[in-house]
Amino acid sequence: MLWYKAWLETRARFLTCLATLTIFCAVFVGHAQGMIHPEWKSDYNRLLFITQQFIVIMWILAVVLLGMGGIVREKAIGISSLTLSLPVSRARILGIRVGMGILEAIVLGVVPWSTIFLVSSLAKMPIVISQVGFYVLLLLGGGLAYFAMAVLVSCLIEGEYTAPAVAFGLVLLAAIIFDAWLRPFNLWRLVTGDFYIDRHTYLLSGHFPWLGTLASMSAAALMLLASVSVIQRREF
Amino acid sequence: MTNSPVIVTRDLTKLYGSLAAVHGLNLSVGPHRITAFLGQNGAGKSTTIKMLLGMVRPTCGEGTVLGKRITDAEENCEMRCKVACVAENKPLYGYMTVEQTLRFASSFYPDWRTDVARSLLSEYKLPPQRKVKALSKGMRTKLALLLAFARRPELLILDEPSEGLDPVGIEHLLQMLVAQAAEGVAIFFSSHQIAEVERVADHVCILNNGRLLVDASLDQLRQSYRRIDLVFASAPPEREFRIAGVEKLQTKGHQLSVFASRNAEAVIERARDLDAVSVEVAPVGLREIFLESVKEN
Repeated sequence: MLWYKAWLETRARFLTCLATLTIFCAVFVGHAQGMIHPEWKSDYNRLLFITQQFIVIMWILAVVLLGMGGIVREKAIGISSLTLSLPVSRARILGIRVGMGILEAIVLGVVPWSTIFLVSSLAKMPIVISQVGFYVLLLLGGGLAYFAMAVLVSCLIEGEYTAPAVAFGLVLLAAIIFDAWLRPFNLWRLVTGDFYIDRHTYLLSGHFPWLGTLASMSAAALMLLASVSVIQRREF
Repeated sequence: MTNSPVIVTRDLTKLYGSLAAVHGLNLSVGPHRITAFLGQNGAGKSTTIKMLLGMVRPTCGEGTVLGKRITDAEENCEMRCKVACVAENKPLYGYMTVEQTLRFASSFYPDWRTDVARSLLSEYKLPPQRKVKALSKGMRTKLALLLAFARRPELLILDEPSEGLDPVGIEHLLQMLVAQAAEGVAIFFSSHQIAEVERVADHVCILNNGRLLVDASLDQLRQSYRRIDLVFASAPPEREFRIAGVEKLQTKGHQLSVFASRNAEAVIERARDLDAVSVEVAPVGLREIFLESVKEN
């Protein structure tokens, strides 16, 4: 039933984000197709690359929102005692919230790209499935670090509105700092595919960046472990 | 069921900076009885309950609930399976409906009694499909109580259970408490409503500024506490009455009012020895005991 609680808690945010992302992708791709001739294949690929940038922005906003909540937010609104009086460990409560968040994040990554794939096929501008897979894997493999960061912030900061504000601030700050001084490690460029795009064909090329993705996922795992540690030590 | 105490604390202390919310609390709550936990706002009642349930870590000292150490996360988790709790402000998930809340709570406890839940649901007139956030304060309190009463726990911990209830609801609550105790459930509840406490409690603990002032059975308190009003022909010899058990002395003209927690007989005897014109002894209610105890400290 903790899964059920996590679903009830996040479903409004999740469904709103899913609808927004899916409608945006369908409309954006569908509308742009009208302006592109079938022979301009690279322009269409470029359009998809640009679409991925927008998807990444909206996906990060969505997963940061999904990472919010939990016992610390419940404390801020005065209901944490109910959750904490359940015969369940704090680590399990957090684990299930994270599990639900990851599942929702996966759906938020897969559904928009599936929509693009379908819309493109219907408009006789088919995309190679491997390109779709590449984009989705980059988004999920690299982007879950943003979700983990949001979870950590939600365990550290109590305010109902302060926590999302801080999390969004950190996303922005990280993008600026990494782009200015640590560009090869810029998560944003990994997730959007900027490092791997062929500027002539606008297709993602080369091997999948397993190392970068693994590093990002390790960072995400560390942040989630830190969140468990914080929540176990915290007083309510 | 055993006869060992359900709650035991030894020098339990919680400091927030230099402020002691709870200071050296030594508590022993017996099984199969209703223990009231009284105190002013900020006396440390809720902090104590939070420490017992593992929500707040004690600064020092230790405690057990149903034999499980409160500071051990695993033992505390096991203990919560056998303890039903209604916390202060009656926390509930606003995004769930009443029915969803019941389904959610029932899934965690093997001692959940569906028949009792159904009967209380109709008795409390709680609309199953209504979202908790749309319920009135009284209805929320009833739902929180239902979640506790629909179980058969070994211990019931209630923090201000009558808050937000109308007189009918309070009456029902008191009856439920007595019925639960009759079934062998130990009840530990904090309240500001002394009249309610006096009706149902077997044992009373009074906390003030984090310290335990009174820990006795209600019968014991009723038997030992006395107000003795004395009238003398001249100014009362106040100093003569500073004896063991005398908590407070108040002089007004030729009158001396003695508030004694024990030893009332010795006070009366001394008054007679000192030629008191009039000696009137009156039993003291819990309300007065509470007020005098916290005022004195």
